[in-house]
Amino acid sequence: MKVRITEYLEIDLAREKWCCRRCSRELAGARENYKTGCLVAEVPLQEVHDPLVQGGEFSFCPDPEFCRLIEFYCPNCGTMIENEYLPPGHPLTHDIDLDIDALKARHRL
Amino acid sequence: MSRLAYGRDYEVVQWLRPEPMTVEEAAGQQKIEDVDFEIFRHKMNMIAQEGKETTMKLGASTGMRWGDVAFAIYTAQGDLAVVATGIWFHAVLGQIPVKYILKHFADEPSVRLKEGDSFFWNDPFYGGVHGADMGLAVPVFDQGKLVCFVGAVVHTGENGATDPGGMSNTARSRYDDGLLCPPIKVGERYTLREDILTMIGSHVRDPRTMILDIKARLAASRIAERRIQEVLGDKGPEFFIGGLRRILSVTAEAAKKKVALLSDGVYRQPRFLDTVGTESALVKINLTITKKDDGFKFDFEGSSPMFPDKPLNTYFHGILGLAMVYFCGWFFYDLPANNGLLETIEWHFPEDSFINAKGEVSTGLAPFPQTAFTLGMFLCGARMSYGLDPLRAVAAWYTGFGAPMFGGINQWGEPMADTFAELNATGCGARPDMDGVDCAGSYFATMSDCGDVESTEEDRPFLYLFRNYFRGSYGHGKYRGGAGLGYCLIPSHVPGVVLGAFGYGSKFPATVGIFGGYAVPPTFVQTVRGSNMKELLAQGSPAVPVNAEQAFQGNGAETGRREFHHSSMRIQPFQNGDTVYLPVGGGAGYGDALERDPEAVVADLRDGMVTPWAARNIYRVVYDDETLRLDREKTQALREGARARRKQRGKPYGEFEKEWLKLRPRDEVIKYYGTYPVSRAT
Repeated sequence: MKVRITEYLEIDLAREKWCCRRCSRELAGARENYKTGCLVAEVPLQEVHDPLVQGGEFSFCPDPEFCRLIEFYCPNCGTMIENEYLPPGHPLTHDIDLDIDALKARHRL
Repeated sequence: MSRLAYGRDYEVVQWLRPEPMTVEEAAGQQKIEDVDFEIFRHKMNMIAQEGKETTMKLGASTGMRWGDVAFAIYTAQGDLAVVATGIWFHAVLGQIPVKYILKHFADEPSVRLKEGDSFFWNDPFYGGVHGADMGLAVPVFDQGKLVCFVGAVVHTGENGATDPGGMSNTARSRYDDGLLCPPIKVGERYTLREDILTMIGSHVRDPRTMILDIKARLAASRIAERRIQEVLGDKGPEFFIGGLRRILSVTAEAAKKKVALLSDGVYRQPRFLDTVGTESALVKINLTITKKDDGFKFDFEGSSPMFPDKPLNTYFHGILGLAMVYFCGWFFYDLPANNGLLETIEWHFPEDSFINAKGEVSTGLAPFPQTAFTLGMFLCGARMSYGLDPLRAVAAWYTGFGAPMFGGINQWGEPMADTFAELNATGCGARPDMDGVDCAGSYFATMSDCGDVESTEEDRPFLYLFRNYFRGSYGHGKYRGGAGLGYCLIPSHVPGVVLGAFGYGSKFPATVGIFGGYAVPPTFVQTVRGSNMKELLAQGSPAVPVNAEQAFQGNGAETGRREFHHSSMRIQPFQNGDTVYLPVGGGAGYGDALERDPEAVVADLRDGMVTPWAARNIYRVVYDDETLRLDREKTQALREGARARRKQRGKPYGEFEKEWLKLRPRDEVIKYYGTYPVSRAT
């Protein structure tokens, strides 16, 4: 039995695995951070945020001294499962840390 | 004065949850039939709604006129029972001053509570947010017995702080934060005391607006008092007291049931602010929400330290007030808004953190950490909600403010100091089933409005060059955020004004997306001093910019000294004819942009709501430049290629993390952060 968690993530409760909701690829153990099963890339900010203005202290693109963009992809289908804007070197966030035993009990497994 | 040595009351600010039920409240509930209860609740809601509308109609400040208003009915113990507002945090925080009044003045011989009294406050130590947010409440009696309070909390916008307009981004201690008035009796025997009003008016730059706003709150409260007395005459005090308490009881019970439906677990969202006063520097709010059974625990351990001489601190209850914004507006959208919802929350704030202000520090920019925290609520909330109800898992509306504040003498010769209502024109966050609404409002004041250009020009000495959607203002994604605004102000009719701005997100995006959706771009201010824009207008020049994109890119026609400023631009003088350009952030994106319906991208191109650059580089859509006809096959191929490149570019988590963790911002960027990356007091 699979339960949906986000737009792109579900958990196979019997196998205790995070899975991609687009291609069903198993990503990581359900008791781990799902991001450990993703491909991870730092994407240059200007690929996503058009600066519009050049040469000044400010633009419409975040400042890489303050912020970096990290993207997490499904290794099979390439869907971007999540992204994070973080200061350089800040630990990646274990954002969803579910009580798998409680989840299984809720679904009578 | 009994029990208080003229200091702050650190006990009463903890009283956010409903007070223990009194014997009278319990007995009253027992005698109310279900149908009578629903009729009663509807009447109370209508009374509050009338109070909100009346306050807005009578007020003078920008915030009051355009809906930054919470009108509430509190129990005789001070609990918030009923509120009409979209600005939920004022509603729940307004109860602390009421409980303060009850605790300190009800039995104090020199004050006491009597029919016809009215009380005013604006000290954020009790009100929770900042000094520009001001409240007034009146006790309501039945045959001499206190049965409830009614009152309004509204952002008046000017409280005599270091900077005009209510957001003092250069304050260095609470003594720079202007008038900070704990609850005080301002009226008795149905009459406002002129000596007190004169004292309050003398502390601010715009006394006319200050006093008109106080009178508007009071007038609305008196109407509500009259309506409640009609209900009391019909139903009696026992029914009334029991009815108010029952509203709280059923809300808390329903809230716990709803929380129990969510998956147990730990949800983490470190949130980052890039603005300290008028400086660019990073600080962190480290939000961890543990959900278990029918409750949440909020833990902020690991947040950045308190600022001894900067205005970015907030009192802890201001953070909890903003939690109510998400709860009332999104998660508990189907439940009554009152402090019964807080029965589901426990909290822990570290003692030394800027989100748990103590002592004499300034809280002039407290709304910044409060709204940055709320982004964490949106992000955790979406992850908690999706399994239960995907449609409630929405991206955040813009959280970074970005509005000017100003002072001076207006074209009618009257002193003025306030902000502009465009901060209520942000875009709605994208949703799992649709784009965010363009210029939807403000997430913390969902019933507010950005005001009419003509109304603003009528009593403020500014000319709007343009005000319209800014297609560079939202986050991209499978569904895009709603667009925010771009606008240009030209000081006019007077020799000059002083003007600054308050906001964050000029370096690090204030508002990020969910489930692969992208962040709202940075915002900042552009000014041109000595501009020839009025001459260009007089000539009917086609080179006059008509939107923010044209204005920021510049076409060379506007001459003068062009400068870019932080969203928190220091207050400074501007002359008649200078130009000030401001963007208002849109909503954050939802989902992978490569999943966006290509037809939706083309529709946005036709409507001018997406740039060709974004259509090609983010959405990977192929279309004919002239006809905008979509090429589906080439688009599909382009997107497949983009996914393939992601897989080539991406590294396994462990390999990526090993290199990533070697990075660190420059020391200047994290000088206020605490230890990096795990923040502790230094």
